[in-house]
Formats: sequence, structure tokens, C-alpha cells
Amino acid sequence: QKQRCHGAGCPDISAAAVRDELGGEGARNGPSRSATGWCVPALLVLLRLRRRLLALSSVGSISEEETCEKLKGLIQRQVQMCKRNLEVMDSVRRGAQLAIEECQFQFRSRRWNCSTLDALPVFGKVVTQGTREAAFVYAISSAGVAFAVTRACSSGELDKCGCDRTVHARGERGGESFQWSGCSDNIAYGVAFSQSFVDVRERSKGASSNRALMNLHNNEAGRKAILNNMRVECKCHGVSGSCEFKTCWKAMPPFRKVGNVLKEKFDGATEVEQSEIGSTKVLVPKNSQFKPHTDEDLVYLDSSPDFCDHDLKNGVLGTSGRQCNKTSKAIDGCELMCCGRGFHTDEVEVVERCSCKFHWCCFVKCKQCHRVVEMHTCR
Amino acid sequence: IIFSFGEFLAVTWNSSDNVVLFNFSAPSPTSAVPYVSIKCIDVRKNHHKTKWLVPWGPNQCEKIKDFDEAVSRQIEANDIVFAVHIPLPPNEMSPWFQFMLFILQLDIAFKMHNVIQDNAEITLDVSLAYRDDMSSEWKEMAHAIETRKLKCAFHSPKTPESEGRYYDCDLLPFMEIGSVAHKFYLINIRLPVNERKKINLGIGEIKDIRLVGIHQNGGFTKVWFAMKTFLTPSILIIMIWYWRRIKMMTRAPVLLEKVIFALGISMTFINIPVEWFSIGFDWTWMLLFGDIRQGIFYAMLLSFWIIFCGEHMMDQNERNRLSGYWKQVGPIAVGSFCLFIFDMCERGVQLKNPFYSIWTTDVGTELAMAFIIVAGICLCLYFLFLCFMVFQVFRNISGKQSSLPAMSKARRLHYEGLIFRFKFLMLITLACAAMTVIFFIVSQVTEGHWKWGDLTIQANSAFFTGIYGMWNLYVFALMFLYAPSHKNYGEDQSNGKTGLSGYFEIVACTKKSKMGGENIGHKPGSEISHVFPAEHTDLVENNM
Repeated sequence: QKQRCHGAGCPDISAAAVRDELGGEGARNGPSRSATGWCVPALLVLLRLRRRLLALSSVGSISEEETCEKLKGLIQRQVQMCKRNLEVMDSVRRGAQLAIEECQFQFRSRRWNCSTLDALPVFGKVVTQGTREAAFVYAISSAGVAFAVTRACSSGELDKCGCDRTVHARGERGGESFQWSGCSDNIAYGVAFSQSFVDVRERSKGASSNRALMNLHNNEAGRKAILNNMRVECKCHGVSGSCEFKTCWKAMPPFRKVGNVLKEKFDGATEVEQSEIGSTKVLVPKNSQFKPHTDEDLVYLDSSPDFCDHDLKNGVLGTSGRQCNKTSKAIDGCELMCCGRGFHTDEVEVVERCSCKFHWCCFVKCKQCHRVVEMHTCR
Repeated sequence: IIFSFGEFLAVTWNSSDNVVLFNFSAPSPTSAVPYVSIKCIDVRKNHHKTKWLVPWGPNQCEKIKDFDEAVSRQIEANDIVFAVHIPLPPNEMSPWFQFMLFILQLDIAFKMHNVIQDNAEITLDVSLAYRDDMSSEWKEMAHAIETRKLKCAFHSPKTPESEGRYYDCDLLPFMEIGSVAHKFYLINIRLPVNERKKINLGIGEIKDIRLVGIHQNGGFTKVWFAMKTFLTPSILIIMIWYWRRIKMMTRAPVLLEKVIFALGISMTFINIPVEWFSIGFDWTWMLLFGDIRQGIFYAMLLSFWIIFCGEHMMDQNERNRLSGYWKQVGPIAVGSFCLFIFDMCERGVQLKNPFYSIWTTDVGTELAMAFIIVAGICLCLYFLFLCFMVFQVFRNISGKQSSLPAMSKARRLHYEGLIFRFKFLMLITLACAAMTVIFFIVSQVTEGHWKWGDLTIQANSAFFTGIYGMWNLYVFALMFLYAPSHKNYGEDQSNGKTGLSGYFEIVACTKKSKMGGENIGHKPGSEISHVFPAEHTDLVENNM
């Protein structure tokens, strides 16, 4: 029961099932999960993000320095950072989790659905090549880390955030600078941490190879997706609450919004190649007629495979067994999704929840409704 | 005249220069600190041993990361407590922050089957505690059950695809405290569910509760206090000097002089840095008190403008009594009274219950709107009157100016004096008002700080200190420049116009002269008031 699905074949139902266990008579059986490895045990998920980037076990918290050594996929510099910033590592892991969930949400109806493997590299080889998909994964995970660290700052879980500004500092201790002029935004710390922790992989290789340049660019684009979408909110507090005094602050966008922005950038990503300007190597659009990419755009080097066929060697799971939409002409439609192989149509009786009673948290009481639906599955 | 005007300008220049220099070191006036609440579980069922749930540090509560975890652990909504510790870890709050106000933001995810119902209200069981060192017990400061209206919009189509997106909810006022006397504060929020009473049903799927805490920066408070402490004696001294001048006159002070004096008093009232006491004492009413002081000053300033115009009308109507201005001053009184009542209803009640807000109930909102609308109407009415009066004065001025060359010298001097005096004040008032408006707009539009190279200037604190200093200077200049001259007494005998002067004095007293200047001076340039010498001549001529 406690498994989470990562394929489009089993949406939402597992979570609903867990909830319904408590809620009483709830739907229990969704369509059975496909056996092709779409589903990964969720509560025991070994979150391994990207190629050997984060292998942070979600069992237990990272509270000892030895844990850093045991984490697979970290390079030496990252292990050192992990030891120095133990308290932040939980947030890093949460950020990775967020990123994977968001990636899977955004790509739920595409051929490549951001499925994770239970082995390294987590996303399969797709991400090791310089594809669009890799660009998205890099961007969303660096954004996820920045997001989670910033949030942890605001909830008081981290000690080091924000208040160690040096420019305006009046006293030695952080507290004094806080009392004199307040702290800088937590987002600055989150972004800086993401920069130093995530980017160190590429920087340590010497940021000159194509891939390193591409990854660094996409990492930055991910963080920019947060920074450029910060909402400014204001409150008036003058005499009798008038706007004589007004205080504004920046609020982080919800992560779903970050995901949407990056998905748009994914759709409009620029294919680039390396070129040398002077002695520095930069990435320029392959097609010189296109306008050059900005800091916020995603860039990629190689074109993506079609993701049609099962090819474990390349980490492609293929689309066979995926659910598709018969009526749609888009990528989630059966035509495109199944790569022209055709599809099965089964009549499945779905037990759905209906006329539910909800509390704001944790409580759902539903009736069961049986409904017969047609399900289309790719051959 | 030119000399003293130049001096005056120099003073303005110097002091505004100082103000700007001052601000290089001043931080922005306020800080906003975002807090994300930690979801604690209230494990105890009925015993009241550890009532306060602390989000981090020693003795922290049992936490859950998200509500999926709560579902799997069979935790009910009523056992979940949102805990926020103020401030964030290494910091301490300080009395220099002067006030704290908090804003509540709810992250509510869209779910097809669990949408926010129309006119949904959320009921919060909130409590606030404080302590002064990390090891002592929390002491309760306030506890209340509050309801807030959820005003949430969902900008995506309401389809299963959009599940998990957040609603866009309005900021909710949460709490306001007029003093920050303690180092650590703790807020515990519960959202109790009661199906029978229909409490907290239909409020959607709450994912997180966030707070934003706003307080004045300690650095700004210090700069502000220093400024007030410096300005108080300057205004006080000029006020005493001004009143002595008036007392030295043989006649009773005229209305305009009294109004200027009252303006001085209200300015001093704002200036007196009683806020120093808030550093040592826990005076939560300081915020309300500050509002009242500002209100009095505004009312005084507006009345002054009206009366100044009226006394320069240069027609033959008898004024010099406050009752003559009831039409214009009435709206000011009514408007200020409305705002006072509104403020008492909001900040006055907050002294008792910091979570209270008049805007949360329908009746309260209507009442508040009524007060504000009445005050707004009064203000509009006032400005109409003021504009009309200024227009009248200018009409009279142009009428008089055309007949000036035909007048006798004394009478001409009198009118020229009146016109100069009026135009001068008009000019500096407009300049001050324009500066205020411009700075206000700039501070609202920009992000509050300007960068020039490495130097960042906190425009907002420059704005506040600058504008505050400017209006102080305005009041200072009024008292300095419009004080009656004392010279005529000593000079009466030697003047040669002695008899005449004495006669004027008597006439002025019996006629209740329209203006403050009683000067028959003969040293032009030594004092501004010397340019208004001949009022009595005019009166005499009119009488004759």
C-alpha cells in the first residue's frame, strides 16, 4: 500500500488510498500499478537526484558527520560541505524531493515522465547526455535546493541564514546587526547555498567543458526562476493604518509556479554549442539566427531521443504500458504517446471517492462510487 | 529682507544637508521578517503541563513535515499546532523595535473535491507567550479565538490538472503590539474543527501557515530618537521666545498669533521624545499615543492654513475669532474626531487583544469604512474651502495691487507687507507640501533604497527624517518670522511718530486688527516683520 507511483499509469491514487484508510470507506484499489518499474517505494525512497548528485537517504535525518560519508553520489567537496553544514542537509534533501515531485508533475503526460530509477543515475542516462531533459532536471533541482533552504531559514531550522550580512553589519554578532537594521532576505542565503553546493560539482571539474558550462547555466536559470518570480507584498501601517508608512517584502513563489516557469523554459530551450570569445569559452546558440539566450533560459547541447522504446542501457523506460488519452492530439494522446504502436483499451471499474467530507487536514470521509471507465494503455 | 531671507535659506540648506548626511548611516525604517510556521503535534491529550509548543531549540515540539505524514500517523486536525518563534534563531527582539505587527498568510492548495467555499471564514485559536531568556518558562501574554475571512482567488482553471496549485489569498491582519519589551515571543495557532458548529469547514486544504513580522529597525529608532531629542529644545526655545514677544505687546494676542503658538505646541508635543520611556517600560499604548499626537498636529496645521488665509483676506469682515471660522475648522474637527474614534476602535482595542482587527467582521468593516469616508469627505470639504479662500485672497491681492500706486505711502506699505507675507508663506507651504508629496510618491514607487556605486542610501529613512525635519523647520520659521517685533516699544519715544503710533495701537486693539504684526519699525532689513509696518495707518485711513 505504501508505494508511490511515478508513472502516469498510477496518478494520485496511492496517496488517496492512504488517506482513505483513515477516512473510512474509501476507494482502495486504483488500477493496478504497472510492473515496468514506474513505481518506486516512496517512503523508502532513496532519493538520488541527477547523476550521483544527491544520494540522501530519507530514513533518519542527517545529523552526524559520518552520514555525509555514506551518502552516495556526492563528490569530495560536497562531502566536506555536508560536514560543515549538517543542519542544512535535511533541507537539501527536501529540496531534491521537491524537485523530483515537481519534475514528475510537469512531465506527467509526456513520453519522458521524469521517472526515477532505483539505481544511479536516478533519472537514467537521459540526464547524463546534454539533452533538454537534463537541462530541466538540473534547473529544477538547483531551484529545489534554494527553495527548501530558504524555507528552512524562515521556519527557524537553520542558524546561519540571512543575518550575517557584512556590508551593513554594525556589530560583531549577528544579533546586533539584526537589531540595528534587520536581516537580509533569506532567499539570498538559499540561493547562495544552492550555488555553492550544487555548482561545486561542475566547478571542481574546471568549468570549461561543454557540459559543465551547460549545467552551470541551467543551475543558474533554475535559481533565477525563483528570484525573478518573487512576489512583492506590502503592508501599510501609518497613522490609523494609512499608507503613510508602508513596508514591503519579497515572498517566494509557490514551487509549483517555479515548476511551471521552468517547464515553459524547457519548451523554449535553446540548442547551443561552444564557442570561444577571447580566451573564455561560452555557449552560443547553434542557429545563429536565433536570438541569444538569457540567464533565465534553459540551454542544451544534444537533441533528445524519442523515448519510445524500452532501452535500459540508455535509461529509457519506453512508453509501453503508459496510459494515454484517446481523444487528445497532443503529446498525451495515444497516437503520439504510444509512438504509433497502438494501444489496448480496457474497461476498468474504478472505485472513486464521492460526496466527501473534508477537514482542512488529515480527515476525509467519503462514499464509494463505482464507475466504469475506458482505459487506454500503450502497447 | 534679502539678508534675513538668505539667512533663512542658509538655515534650510544646512539642516537639510545635515539630514541627508545623517541618513548615510541610518538603516531602512522597518524590516519585514518572513516566518514559516512549524507544524507541531499536541501529543498530550488532557493534561496541561507543557502548554506551549516551541518550534526549535531545547524542548522543541514533536514535528511533522507535511500533512501526508499526519494522515499516515492518524493525527487529527485539532492536535496540530502551528508554532512560530519570534525572532529566528540567533537573534533577540529588542525594545528599540518599538512595535511589532504580524500578517497571516495561508497556503491553501486547490483540490477538486475540497475547494474553499464562498464566504469561508477561518477560526484561529491563537495564543502569544513571551520569555526573556532561553531557559525560563513561557508566560502567556494574550489568548484569543479570532475569525478571519478568507478572500482567495484561483487563477487557473479549476480542473484536476491544477490540483496542488495554491490559491492566491489576501494578506490577513494577524496581530499588532505597540511595544517590544521582551526578547522572545512564541505564537501558537490552532485551527480547531467542529462539525456541529460548522467551525473551520470548507476552508480548503491548508498546506502551511506563514507569518510576516514587521518591526521598526533599531538603528532607525535611534536616529529618530536622536532627531527628536535635538528638535525638541529648538522648537521649545523658539516657542518661548515667540510667546515672550507676544507678551511684551501691550495688546492681547490676536488669533493668528495664538494659532501659530498652538502649532508650536502641537509640534513640540510630537517632538518630545517620550518614546525613550518605551525602552525601559512596557507601554503598549505608545503606538496609539503616537497616532493621537500626529493627529493633533495635522489638525493644527490645517487650521493654521485656513486662519492664515482668512486673516489675510484684506476685506473688511471682522474675524479674529475662532468662531468666525467654524465652517472651515468644523470639518477638520469632525474629520479628526472620526479618525480618532476609528483609531480607538482599532488600536485602542488592540491594547486589550493584540489579535483584534476591526476589519475582520462585517459590522466592523462597515463602521470603519463609515468613519474613514466621513473623514475623507471632511478633508475634501476642507480643501475646497481652503482653495476657495486662497483664490479669494489672490483676487483681493490683484484688486489691491492695481490700486496700490494711488495709495498713500503708509497704506501702500501696509498692503505690500500683507501681500508679501501671504505670498511668502504660500510659497514655503507649497514647497514643503510639494516636497512631502514628491518624497511620498517616490518612496511608494521605488524599492526604498538607491544605489550609487557602493553606497546604498535608504531613501525611506531619508524621506521620513527629511520630511519630519522639514516640517519642524517650517514651524520654526513661522514662529521666527511671524513673531511681532518688540522694537516699537523702545523706539516709540524716539520715533517722532510717537503719537501716531500710540494711536494706531489703540485703534488696533479696539478694532481687533486682522493681522499679527504690530510693528512700526524704521530699520528695514533687520527683521522680516519690519516690512509690515503700516496696518494701523490703513485702519486709520479706513476709519477716516
